[in-house]
Amino acid sequence: MKKQLFANPDHCTGCNRCALICSALKEGAFQPDKARIRINNFPLRGYSVPSICFQCPKANCMDVCPSSALYRDADGVVLVNENLCTACGTCVSACPYGMMEQGAAGIAYKCDCCGGDPACVRECHADALLYAVGDSEQIRLKGAQMKYRTAVGTPAEKRHVMAEKLMKKARS
Amino acid sequence: MRLYAGKMLIVDLTANTVSTEPLRQEWIREYWGAWGLALRYYCDAVEPEIDPLSPENVVVIMAGPLGGTLVPLASRLCLVSKSPHTRTIFESNIGGAFGPELKFAGYDGIVIKGRAEVPVFLKIADDRVTLESAESLTGRGIFETEKLMEAAIGTPEAKCLAIGPAAENLITFSMIGSESYRQFGRGGTGALFGSKNLKGIVCRGTGKIDVAEMGAFLERISYYKAHDLLTDDNLWAKTDGTPILVEVTNEMGIHPTKNYTRGFNGRKEKLNSDAIQAAKLGDRACFACPMACGKFTRVNSAEIEGPEYETLCLAGSNCEVNDLEAVIRFNRLCDDLGLDTMSCGSTISLAMEMTETGRHNFNLHFGQVDEYLKVIYEIATLSTERGRDLAQGAKKLAAKYSADDLSMEVKGLEMPAYEPRGNYGMGIAYATSERGACHLRAFPIFAQDPHDIDALVTEVVNAQNANGIKWSMGFCDFWGTVNTQIEAELMSAGLGEPVTAEELDRAGERIWNLSRLFNLQAGFTAADDTLPKKIMERPLEDGSQAGRVFSREDLTYAMQMYYRQRGWDEQGVPSQKKLHDLGLDQLCVKECRS
Repeated sequence: MKKQLFANPDHCTGCNRCALICSALKEGAFQPDKARIRINNFPLRGYSVPSICFQCPKANCMDVCPSSALYRDADGVVLVNENLCTACGTCVSACPYGMMEQGAAGIAYKCDCCGGDPACVRECHADALLYAVGDSEQIRLKGAQMKYRTAVGTPAEKRHVMAEKLMKKARS
Repeated sequence: MRLYAGKMLIVDLTANTVSTEPLRQEWIREYWGAWGLALRYYCDAVEPEIDPLSPENVVVIMAGPLGGTLVPLASRLCLVSKSPHTRTIFESNIGGAFGPELKFAGYDGIVIKGRAEVPVFLKIADDRVTLESAESLTGRGIFETEKLMEAAIGTPEAKCLAIGPAAENLITFSMIGSESYRQFGRGGTGALFGSKNLKGIVCRGTGKIDVAEMGAFLERISYYKAHDLLTDDNLWAKTDGTPILVEVTNEMGIHPTKNYTRGFNGRKEKLNSDAIQAAKLGDRACFACPMACGKFTRVNSAEIEGPEYETLCLAGSNCEVNDLEAVIRFNRLCDDLGLDTMSCGSTISLAMEMTETGRHNFNLHFGQVDEYLKVIYEIATLSTERGRDLAQGAKKLAAKYSADDLSMEVKGLEMPAYEPRGNYGMGIAYATSERGACHLRAFPIFAQDPHDIDALVTEVVNAQNANGIKWSMGFCDFWGTVNTQIEAELMSAGLGEPVTAEELDRAGERIWNLSRLFNLQAGFTAADDTLPKKIMERPLEDGSQAGRVFSREDLTYAMQMYYRQRGWDEQGVPSQKKLHDLGLDQLCVKECRS
């Protein structure tokens, strides 16, 4: 079994250290808006939901890319070949979780799990992020999160839809 | 720029204009950010005699240089103005994520001037900044106002500062809220916005903060996070948060109970950290904070992030409301309507004592929950006679009914939840704080001998200076072991140029002295550096410090020792030598000089 990234919103405190370290390492500056992991905060209900790339086994982004710029590595992580990316943005619309975005030149970017040692997991002090093979409970939780797919909207809107549903369930 | 956004937003509500200007470079290495820099901007903009609620008054909001980065507990945002509650110079800081969001939008701070003709809110979407009509928001609570402003900017990722009805009604202990349960507390920050017809600010920032060399900066952060922050001295914040202080202060006999009559609450188990843990649904953090001291709780249908220690004590023990659900409901009402829970709790406990001692009947009694919860709305909306009375705060309420022997405030600011008779250090801290009775300038509750005035004066002076720079860096109180050496190293790594602990030490002292100059010019004298009558005359009851007073003679001695140690004269006026040493004699703002 391969390791994968898991998020447990019940433990997330909303601090954004994951997004900060991600942007620092990927963009060279502190810029949560460009992070490959995003936090949705619901302060009134005291709940936060990390949005992560699930590295979908059947990935919409890969399916729709007209230039085959997206590929899967041996660990199961979906990666962008920047040389092949034509900045068309099709993958951004296709991702049902809002986890594909475009950089300044339009080139798509996404979570690459830092090559097998995700920095976000190391920065999380709340046990809300985990990189592991995963036990049955973690795999069940991930499956439940993946059910909340959204076909239309901006990436931020898609992330918020899932996050709000998870929040309402947790705080019901 | 590195660490800083490099720009200030200038909002003139009278002229209905918004502009930007570069950050004043010549002030950075003297005042650094947040508190210090906001204070410098403020002193440049107003005369100390100004009426706080006049259109001529200015509000300065400023982030810290380390805010928005991965430096933990360093993202607080400061507000500086003159307080309508105390009429002193006033600083308040807020956690959460508004400060970082403002920097990501491209601004270190905002200078707010004038008064809008009709209610407005400020909308900041990176470099698109506009003033919008707030007509449809008027009268709404903070929770709903934040939601509506987020909708107006079009993204729930935005962060807000908002006021509620209490601030619209210019109540001088109203406050500005953010992310529902965080506040620019104390001193009436809300009324400052209210007087300007400014309902709130919504901000979305998508930009970045640069540092000199990311690898070196991250290395310093990781080192101090592991070796200094996440250590036994500070981890109480992660495990318990501030409710841990319920047991600590009771053990010390300094837990204000029944309007500061007693120093021990025999029913503390109803409000202590165990009670909070039993009601806890999860931990909540400010931006970039690994501690997550906020405990989100629910009792029956009442939910809140908190209550924090000050509220547990001042709205709990001190009102003899030993009922966590009632305190949660109190806290939530205050947060939504926009009232400071400390001042509100203390004013209600005063009204309870006045009622029970026959001074005036407010129909408020210790331990009686229904009226205690009802009166909050009456205060915020000024809808009843007792509501209008209590909305004046403890000092004016007591003055109106000749009960100044019962009111617990310094310079008009209601006291925090640490009994000065049981710890003289807290008394010295309250008497000398620039904004009235405050525990966030010096916090000597762990002093070896809580009645050794000489040692406590030294501890208070050192802590005030240290916090002067700590709040200017944007740090949170709860990195208790952070010092100017650590601050200097983080700043050096971020800026890529050397910053020394010595220059930061001096900045802390400079900020404290500039605040003093402002207050002197605003009309305060040494006679205002005092404590409530009850503290000086009536022995404390119950608990390990029972029988103690902090006598007038002891206080007079303490103040003289304090002034001497500060390099001030017997009237508490900074000497020319001290001002020269700190570079304040050259200050071009002559109005700030006494």
